[in-house]
Amino acid sequence: MRVSSRDGRAGQDVLRRVGEASVLILISLADGPKHGYALIQDIKELADVELGPGTLYGALDRLERLELIESLPADDRRHPYRITAPGAAALRVHLDSLERVSAAGRLRLRLGGI
Amino acid sequence: MREPGAGRLVAWALRCYPARWRRRHGDEAAELAALLIRDGAWAGSIALSYLAGAAREWLTPPPGRRLSAATGALLVLVCSLGVSGVLLASSPPARAALTPTPARGTGVSQVHGHARCRAGAGSAVPGVVRSMGSLSVLIWEAGHERSC
Repeated sequence: MRVSSRDGRAGQDVLRRVGEASVLILISLADGPKHGYALIQDIKELADVELGPGTLYGALDRLERLELIESLPADDRRHPYRITAPGAAALRVHLDSLERVSAAGRLRLRLGGI
Repeated sequence: MREPGAGRLVAWALRCYPARWRRRHGDEAAELAALLIRDGAWAGSIALSYLAGAAREWLTPPPGRRLSAATGALLVLVCSLGVSGVLLASSPPARAALTPTPARGTGVSQVHGHARCRAGAGSAVPGVVRSMGSLSVLIWEAGHERSC
């Protein structure tokens, strides 16, 4: 399955089913390319989530096949990864969707007086 | 890697991945493991994480493909075992095994055609196939224990 930048514009949330790890990786890559070790450190700091290396590479592989990220030429044995334009568009759509759900949840909590 | 044998443990876990994955990520995955172990992570947990990742890699169909060959083969195997189970369960000895029999000495006569079936020590099989383990129980009870 390929994701074109058009999918993001069309408002289709392609990240809904990719899992939390993939979304966190895209968020981490949003401010610049990183390799595996830097991703693990950044995600731990950003979301207090410790990604196992198996989970990390599973998600990286999936995101790369979906063309949401791309690997840059290896620096020593480490491959830095970079978010692609369709990846950034898909992340924006996903975060908008999360924001809507989050706002609705907060509103309902307020209305329910909880 | 600080722990003795840690490198070997991680390398063994990485060998469980498909060749395509190893060619693409093998080197950097080993490098990442070395960095995490240097930071104090336990090599066993890293190896376990890679093992779980390898299992997912084999079992998850790649994007765009509905089912991987391995998953397809597994499903065919499970389905064929299920069909065998249904066929065995519908055979007369198995049906006799599933028919409740009154306790001995109650004087109630059985109206069922398999009245001479002896209730074995094992309980009647309640379902067709609950798992691979119960399939073997089903075959054993249907074929050898009942004297119909």
